[in-house]
Amino acid sequence: MSRSHISMDVIFEMNRREFVRTATGCTAAAGALMLGVPASAQEKEAAPDVTTNIAEFLKVPRTRHSLPGPFPGRVVKVTDPRSLVDERVDGKVVAEMVERGIRTLTGTSMKKSFQMFFTRDDVVGLKVNPVGPPLISTKPEIAEAVIRWLVDNKLPIRNIVIWDRFDLDLKDAGFTPSRFPGVRIQALQTMVEEGHSFRDAGGNHISAGSFDLDVYYLAKGVVGKGVRGYQDDEFYLNQHVFAGEYSYFGKLLTRDITKLVNLAAYKNTGNGISMATKNVGYAAVCNTGRLHAPLGFKVCTEVLAAPVVRDKLVLNITDGLRGQYEGGPDKNEKFVYPNRSLYFATDPFALDALCHRELVAKRKEMGIAVNEHPRFTEYLNYAEKLGLGVVDPAKIALVRA
Amino acid sequence: MVCGAALAAGDGPPLPPSGFLGTWNVEGKPRLFPGSELYAHIDGGAEIFFEFGFEEATVQRYRSPNGEVVVERYTMSDPLAALGIYLGKCGKETPDPGFAERHTAGRFQLMFVRDRYFVIVNDPAGTPALTSVLVEFARSIASCVPESRPVTVFDALPKQGQIEGSLRLIRGPVALEAIATLGRGDILQLRRRTAAVAADYSDAGGKYTVIIATYPDAQAAAAAFRNLADNLDPEIKPVASTETRLVFRDYDGTFGTASLAARRLELRLRLRQEPPLK
Repeated sequence: MSRSHISMDVIFEMNRREFVRTATGCTAAAGALMLGVPASAQEKEAAPDVTTNIAEFLKVPRTRHSLPGPFPGRVVKVTDPRSLVDERVDGKVVAEMVERGIRTLTGTSMKKSFQMFFTRDDVVGLKVNPVGPPLISTKPEIAEAVIRWLVDNKLPIRNIVIWDRFDLDLKDAGFTPSRFPGVRIQALQTMVEEGHSFRDAGGNHISAGSFDLDVYYLAKGVVGKGVRGYQDDEFYLNQHVFAGEYSYFGKLLTRDITKLVNLAAYKNTGNGISMATKNVGYAAVCNTGRLHAPLGFKVCTEVLAAPVVRDKLVLNITDGLRGQYEGGPDKNEKFVYPNRSLYFATDPFALDALCHRELVAKRKEMGIAVNEHPRFTEYLNYAEKLGLGVVDPAKIALVRA
Repeated sequence: MVCGAALAAGDGPPLPPSGFLGTWNVEGKPRLFPGSELYAHIDGGAEIFFEFGFEEATVQRYRSPNGEVVVERYTMSDPLAALGIYLGKCGKETPDPGFAERHTAGRFQLMFVRDRYFVIVNDPAGTPALTSVLVEFARSIASCVPESRPVTVFDALPKQGQIEGSLRLIRGPVALEAIATLGRGDILQLRRRTAAVAADYSDAGGKYTVIIATYPDAQAAAAAFRNLADNLDPEIKPVASTETRLVFRDYDGTFGTASLAARRLELRLRLRQEPPLK
């Protein structure tokens, strides 16, 4: 097991008030009874809507690279039985699959596809998911194939950044300088280990400078203090850098990277999925622990609506060489299966909508009594309403290549 | 195997020391994750540990010329908490004949439960030749843990038609959500103390799920029943109800029931036919 992003559906669903009440457990319940207030009366309180700054995001005019990109609702699935044999990934076959997927998605050559998404001056960030190596993390072979495409089209290798939010797992997942010479490998933040202070001489988190205080996702009234599971607010700060109403975007995204390629893993998180939109939605900003309870998957839509993501995220590739249908987002061998497929889309919401349905079908096939409550996919419908993607199954075009 | 020379790491049972099986040496210090610091280790999956009752996790790496092994040892508050975690992760168990504890073994991971400890022994590379090494690590750790006492909590569930490998424990909303969305928060008012049990069933009418919660007293069970009836998820529509029984239609057109009897609240979910209110 290793790092991932908090994702239990119920935590997403519970509002903050319930969160605190449940966190204190029997104490709160006993208190309610002593006051003569039936717990059921408290439970009846409606979940308040959280005000965010989504309206500000939507005011910013779109660019020609804005989501859902040039191919809304189009998803390409490339399957090759040679890609994963005896638990070993074949990098050569994966490279062929990447080329086939991109060409099929764009309908043109690799060179013209490059020109469709990038210029040679771009700084391209490859957002990987290093959680759960080697079973269910993004395979380095896919990053290698994308990098080769970029470099073959004269993008300087120094303009490529492999990144994730945390620095702990990139190495374990194989994203090392020795494997990717010349490529920057960077995390938005660090977490200081036990026994060491995460504060610098000025008392700030050592990673505070990595976040852009001018570019943020605001969830009004939702603060990272006393969040369930984080009884120790100092620990929350260590992991989340800030604890107020603001989740700041990493400077890597706001000031450095000009285009983003999303290399997600293919896995569940409870009854939902942790694939393309979550790989960016819960990783591009800090101070996310506070967001799970009141906003949940909605963050995956709203963070991607921020211009700093919306206008840079040009390509999504979901690594479905292996899939995990249960037990996610942590790795669990019992539920990992060879899927031997890669998925391509400019529209991450169409991609997630399709993969969600696929994974639900897989769970049923494996005998799981699946909870398909509509709220696990509401964020996808919300994205469609915002014009960020196409998620209606009738409108999604799945192309097999 | 008798608990022998071992590496002290955290509050749990000792882990194998350097030189284990001749070639396996400890690599680095053990990483300890007490209480809420579990988020630093399993950010995405820590909530279920907290809900069941978590005390501390210890992670220790080992290396030999043959590869790497990573041991994760989770000290839970009580044996049922450890079993609850195990049942949520083990899937269809594939035990190794060389290991007697309740466990499931694969090429990358062996996970077992004993007393209040849940342990995963990982081979990150999934080397087939190391599966016996994973078993030896597990046997060594298990030998230092008190024997598990018999678990009787599942006796509340009917046996007939029960689908093998579908048993679950529930102590709160996180575990319940994996099975069904019945309402907000701790809708069954388990409060992390009452352990509900669940299993899937199959009969001529199709597959369905049974959840049984046995509360400390009838008053608590009645309060939980009322809370459920009064706060059903908006996607669930009540069909009929009495003081002790509720019939409802779920989001997907299937039916469910909640029945109260003394200290016990029984739910049946995903029923194909509308059940009677009786």
